[in-house]
This record gives sequence, structure tokens and C-alpha cells, in this order.
Amino acid sequence: MVKTTLSLAELPEGHSGTIRDIDTSSPTSQRLLDLGFVPGTPIKAIQKAPLGDPTTFQIRGYQLGLRKSEADLINIDVIPDEH
Amino acid sequence: MNTETIKQKRVFLIGNPNSGKTSLFNALTGERKRVGNWPGVTVQKIEGIIKTGSHKLVVNDLPGTYSLSPATPEEEIVLKTLDEASGNVILNVVDIGNFERNLFLTTQLIELGISPVVSLNCFDTFTAGGGNIDLNKFTRLTGISAFPTIARTGEGVTSLTEHLAGIDNCLITKPCSCLRLPEDWISAADRILGLNGNTWKKAGPVEKFKAIRLLIAPIEENNPEQIEKLRIIREELAASISERTGKDLKAGDLACELASDRYQRIEMLIAECATVPGKTLPPWQEKLDSILTNRWLGLPIFALLMGWVFYTTFSIGEYPMGWLESLFTTLSTWIEANMNEGLVRSLIVEGVIAGVGGVLVFVPNILILFFWIALLEDSGYMSRAAFLMDRLMNSIGLHGRAFIPMIMGLGCNVPAVMATRIIDNRFQRLLTMLLIPLITCAARLPVLVILCGTFFGDNASFWMFTLFFVNLLVLIFLGQATSLLFKTEENSPFLLEMPPYRLPTASSVFHMLYEKVEHFVEKAGTIILAGSIIIWVLSVFPRDVPLSKDYDSQIVQLKSGPVTNETAGKIAELTRQKNIEQMEGRYMARIGKAIHPIMKPLGFSWRETVSLIPGFLAKESVVSTLSVLYLPFDENLGDAMKISGMNKLSAFVFMLFTLMYIPCIATLGVIWRESGSTRFTLMALVVYFFIAYAVSFFVLKISTLLTSSGQGLIEGAVIVLVVLFAGWYIIRTFLKAITGSKCKSCAGCQGCPVNQDKSCSGGS
Ligand SMILES: Nc1nc2c(ncn2[C@@H]2O[C@H](COP(=O)(O)OP(=O)(O)OP(=O)(O)O)[C@@H](O)[C@H]2O)c(=O)[nH]1
Ligand SMILES: [Mg+2]
Repeated sequence: MVKTTLSLAELPEGHSGTIRDIDTSSPTSQRLLDLGFVPGTPIKAIQKAPLGDPTTFQIRGYQLGLRKSEADLINIDVIPDEH
Repeated sequence: MNTETIKQKRVFLIGNPNSGKTSLFNALTGERKRVGNWPGVTVQKIEGIIKTGSHKLVVNDLPGTYSLSPATPEEEIVLKTLDEASGNVILNVVDIGNFERNLFLTTQLIELGISPVVSLNCFDTFTAGGGNIDLNKFTRLTGISAFPTIARTGEGVTSLTEHLAGIDNCLITKPCSCLRLPEDWISAADRILGLNGNTWKKAGPVEKFKAIRLLIAPIEENNPEQIEKLRIIREELAASISERTGKDLKAGDLACELASDRYQRIEMLIAECATVPGKTLPPWQEKLDSILTNRWLGLPIFALLMGWVFYTTFSIGEYPMGWLESLFTTLSTWIEANMNEGLVRSLIVEGVIAGVGGVLVFVPNILILFFWIALLEDSGYMSRAAFLMDRLMNSIGLHGRAFIPMIMGLGCNVPAVMATRIIDNRFQRLLTMLLIPLITCAARLPVLVILCGTFFGDNASFWMFTLFFVNLLVLIFLGQATSLLFKTEENSPFLLEMPPYRLPTASSVFHMLYEKVEHFVEKAGTIILAGSIIIWVLSVFPRDVPLSKDYDSQIVQLKSGPVTNETAGKIAELTRQKNIEQMEGRYMARIGKAIHPIMKPLGFSWRETVSLIPGFLAKESVVSTLSVLYLPFDENLGDAMKISGMNKLSAFVFMLFTLMYIPCIATLGVIWRESGSTRFTLMALVVYFFIAYAVSFFVLKISTLLTSSGQGLIEGAVIVLVVLFAGWYIIRTFLKAITGSKCKSCAGCQGCPVNQDKSCSGGS
């Protein structure tokens, strides 16, 4: 299995990944951790808003909209498609 | 009653936003507080009472919070209440449809030695989706009792109430819960508490919470000795966890580790005792979402929905409004026929009915507007709308969430200003508060409806829209200018939960309508009634006004002669002129004429000028004052204004000015309370007067210029819009150039770099 690491903001719509780490130097990170964005959690990008930002993500069974600036704090591992 | 034997205790409702706390509160107490399907409906602590046989339970509904680390002011309320609450009963509302995340807060409570009573709410959707939970096992593992509830229907509430009545406090006696804090964390927190002579065993929940926070949060301490001690404790804790788990932890990873550990405990618990539905959203919801927030369809659908809401508010609302109007006219005619002429009759007809009735006729419009808003809120669409609008909101320096207070502002600016509490960044909250008065509230509709209807006839909707549009431009301009001037580098985090779609309940729609209408009618019965009476007094005294000719004797003379159509017409005309002239001599007119010079450049007569003063108390009063002042001309306010010489342009300018001129006193009051800054409040007052004046003046001058050169009003309006837009663009570019995006001076916002180096003391 080859894993690649992306920022959550780069995850295309409809794709999933697993949270790898989160930038704890930002004050927002505590809130994200509390909401369940902890390493090892699967996450899926659902939909981008019409104007390109924010994006909704599915995590731990609920949906949350995040702006690019917040999604950039999170790194994820994805297993790329075969092709 | 033997009141002594009845014990009183307090129950505190704590839980995630949108988990159904207020619904449960209503089901428990029989109250009907506002419920809505989006996070952040409740922003204040509210209280209600349950009476059972031997107990009186005072229930407190608290604002929703995802965790105990406060990010918004209303979440802080929860932390502040925690010490008091733990000595009483804590009812933790858990949305079982969102089990893991909701249990995070429960875990935090348990870690602090609190044993809440848990209500597993939204149990209906959970079981419908195939979910299943072993309650006995849950209680055995966590050490807390749990009750399935369906707050919407009130199911499960009886046994919950019984249980609540039987407990005295929720401090844990036997600390064996699978959700409790691991030993190494406890001993580290104990050492932190030890720095101030406290211990984990003795400490209260909030002290414990603060100790844990010191282990994970960035160090804010100034004392180097303390910093060193903290650092050692953290490093030793990291080492001990590394040993236990085999991970390689640094002291900086502790925040992340604690959250991971909590979620691990939660996952283990759920795996032990429950089957959670695999699919989180039913397929139809996913489908609906993919349409409503679709890249191409999302915004058009949103625009259509909003258009529909406004269209129905005005066009359908017209009919019942007409009925109410004729009802009040019949009432006046009846009183006039059955009562002797005199001051009392005049007070009733011209003061009370004209004033209060003139405002009450708008109840149908308000009902329609809020019917739609309640549906949109309750179905869960509002969060989607905030999601769609975030980018636009962001471009005027606002958060997507600011969209919600703004929509509420359409009803009344007062709750809208309060709703800005759901915005966590102080600067953005103040900015939203500053912009809210530009949202046309229901109280301002009467002026629009009457003047547009009278002066623009068939095109009323178009011109109403134009007014809204100019208003919107001003809003965008002000938002951009402010955020460019005062922008801080740091933005507040954008976290917008998308609740599942739900079928709105009739009762919650009804309650919303009831609440709005009650508020409106109450205002009509109090402040507007009082205002109308004062205005009436000012407009009938002094009784004796020197007249230019002796109308009475002329009338008597005409009446003594043979009565023909011609003489009857003359009598009516003389009476009218007499009334108009009398009005000019009354106190109201004197006040109006004294301040008239200020407003004259905008083409207002003294009547319009003076109507703006009571408008400060309540915007509805603008219309009721005008009706009293214009009564001598004609019964119908619109016609009266036309007769007295108002034209399309002056009507348009007057409406524009009324929309913007100043927030009403109630709005200023909450702005003051919510911002905590007198300077900011005064600014909100002054800024609007100037903006309204400038915009109205501008529109007037340009249009006059164009009309005199032969162009019509439409071209005028288009040109004004283009010029406004161009002006805005130029100023914007200019501001960008001079300020860059640096923080020049600020309103005391958190996280502003200027504040941190203390070179600027902040505004509030
Ligand atoms: N299906 C279902 N829906 C529920 C239940 N309880 C509440 N709801 C719905 O959940 C939504 C949120 O309810 P509220 O009572 O406003 O939630 P809250 O926790 O007070 O929310 P905030 O004040 O925003 O923190 C509303 O649309 C309710 O109708 C339930 O037991 N079952
Ligand atoms: Mg609530």
C-alpha cells in the first residue's frame, strides 16, 4: 500500500482519507480536536460550496463545513486509486 | 399548601448545539422556548419549572457547547455555570444520532468528577436507522444513568423527570467509569494543582478543568519559575504516556493525545454496548443535499427561495392587510357616529386607533414572513444557506454564520444583534452588529408598503426591491470599508455543522409565529401606544391656534343658506383648510419646523421630519405619526401625502432615509449590552445618520439633475447605482492601497497582534 500525505483542503470531493496529524500551533486546533479530528479518524470530502469555499466533510457520522484555511491545518493520508 | 415540604433544586441542561436541549426543556417544563434545526439557537440561559409531587425542579436551559473549552461567549456561560451546576443536577443531552461527538462532552464532565444524568435524545431516528443500545451495559460501564428520549414528542420524559427528582447532586462518589481520565493524567493534574496548594481530590470541577488545560494549552504564564515547573510536569507526563502506549510523545503533543485518548475511550464504550446505524444520512437526504448545495443550482435555488419569501410576504399579505384596514376604519366610523365630538373621541380615533391600528395591520405580513423563515430554519436549510453564503459573507469581512443573524434581522434587529453571539471572533461579531441595522426589519415595512403602493402603483415591488438593493450596496460598502480599515490577520475558525434535514413540526412553527406576533403586538400595545398618545397630545394642543381667516363663521354662513352640492363641497374644503391650518399651529408642527432646516436639503416637509423622531423609539411609529399629521388632508395616508405635494422622487428619498437613518432605541440598547462598549454604540448611532443623509442627498441630487434634463426616474436610479458602485470600487482600491491589510487601530479584538504587543490599548 502506497500512502500519500495531503492537506485536507486538497482532498477532492467524494474522496476519503485518514487524518494523520493536525497543526497544534493554531488556536483553532483545540476546537478541531474536540470535534473529533484526531489522528487515525477517517474523513470524506462531500461537497464544495458553489463559490469554491467552504467544503463539507463527513467525519464520525456527522457533516461539518470547513473553510480552506481550517482544512489546511489538517494533514491526511490517502490511498490513491489504482489508475 | 405545605410549601416547606416541597424541595427545590436546580437542573442544568448541558449538551452539544442542536442536540435538542431546548426541545427537551420544553417537554419537561411545558414552556415553549425557541427551537430550531441549526446550531446556536439558544444564546442565553433560560429557566423553567417542573413541579412533581414532592419536588420543585428549576430547569436551566444552557446554550449548546461542543466541549468545555470555551470558544464563543455562550459556551463560556456553560463553563461559568459548571461549579454551581455540579452541586445540583446536570442533565447532559446527548444526540444519539451523533453519538461519538456528543459523548465527548460527557467524557469531559466525567473526567472532572461529575456524574451527569444522560438523556439519549433523538432516539426515534436512531432506532429507525437500525441503531440499538444496551442501556444496562451503558450504565454499568460509564457509571451514569441514561434515558432514551424523543424530545420532539415528549416520549421518555416522564421516567426522566422521576429520576431527576430523586437525585441531589451529581458529584461522583465512586470513580469507576470507562470514560474517566487515565491515572497519569490525573497525577499530572494533581501536581499542577499542588503548585497552588490544592489537590485533585479537593478541587472543584472548574479548578480541575483549569489544571488539565494548563497541561495542554500554550503557556500563558509570565513567571519564569512557574513556566519551568509546568514544563517539567508536561515532559514527565509525555514520557509516562509514551511508556504506557508505546507512542513517541513530546510535550507539545499532549493536546492531541488527550483528545485521541478521549475518543478512544468513547469508541470502546460504543463498541461494547451499542450498534450505531452504519449509514449516517438516509439516501434521500444525501440527494437533497447534493441538489440544494449544488455548485450550479445551489445559489439560484437560494435566490428563488428568498424571492418567494419576499414576494408572498408583500403580495399575499396585501389581502388580509386590506381587511384589517377596513376593520379599523369601520371601528373609527362607528366611534365617530356613537360618540360626541370632543377631545376623548379625538384621542381614541386619531390617537389610539390611527396609531396602534396603523401598525397592527402589518401582522399578516409578519406572519407570512416568519412562517417561511420557521420552515427554512426547522428543516435544516438555514445551515445550508450559511454554507452557500459564506464566501460572499467572507468578502465583506463576515463569517458565514453572520448570515443567520442577518436573516433574523428581517424580523427585528434586536434578536438579530443577540444572535451575533454565535460568532466567536469579537471583531467579526462587532462588525456584524454594526451592519445589522441596515437589514430592513419588519417595523420598517409599513413605510415601504404605504409609500411604494401609493407612488409607484403597479411597479411597487420593483421599487421596493430597488430600495433593498441600495440598502444592500450600502451594507456591502460599509462592511468592506470597516474590514479593510480594521482587519486583523487572524480570522475566527469557520466550523459550520450541517444538521440532518428534519420535517418541521407544526408546534415549533406555531410557536415561532406566536412569539413574533406577540412581540409585535406587545410593542404596539406599549411603546407605540404611548408614543401615539404623546404625538396626539402634541398635535391637538395648544387648542387655540390663530387662523388666517374666520373659517367657522364662513361655514356657518354657508350652512344657513340653501344646501346644494356646491355649498357642501365648499364646506368640506373650508373644514379641511381649517384643520390643516390648525395643525400648523400645534406643538408638533412647531417642533417639526424648528428642526426642519436640517432635513430640508433632502426635500422633506416638516411632517416627515418630525415623524422621524418617534421613529427612534419604534420604527413603526413613523407611519403612525404621519397618519396623525396628515389626517387633515385625507383619511388615507398615501393619498394625503400625494395631495400635500409629495412626488415619486421625494417619496423614494424619504423611504431610503427611513430605512437607514438610525437604529431604534431597543436595537441600540442591545448593541450596547452585547458590545459592552459605549463608544461603539455611539458610533452605530452617528454613522447611520450620516450614511443615510449622504446616500439620500446623493440620490436626490442626481435624480433631480437627470429629471430636469429630461430623463426619467428609472434612468436616474440606474445611474445612481452605477455611480455608487463605481464610488465603492474606487474607495475600496484606495483604502486597500493606503492600509494594505495591516491592523491600524482596532476595536479591541482578540488575537490582534497590535493588542498583544500593547502598543494599542484597544477600543473597548
Ligand atoms: N427526530 C427528532 N428530532 C428532535 C428531537 N429533539 C429535538 N429534535 C429536533 O432537533 C432540532 C434542534 O432542537 P433544539 O431543541 O433547538 O436544540 P438545542 O440543543 O436547544 O439547540 P441550540 O440551542 O442551538 O444549542 C429541532 O429541529 C428539533 O425539532 C427528537 O427527539 N427527535
Ligand atoms: Mg436551544
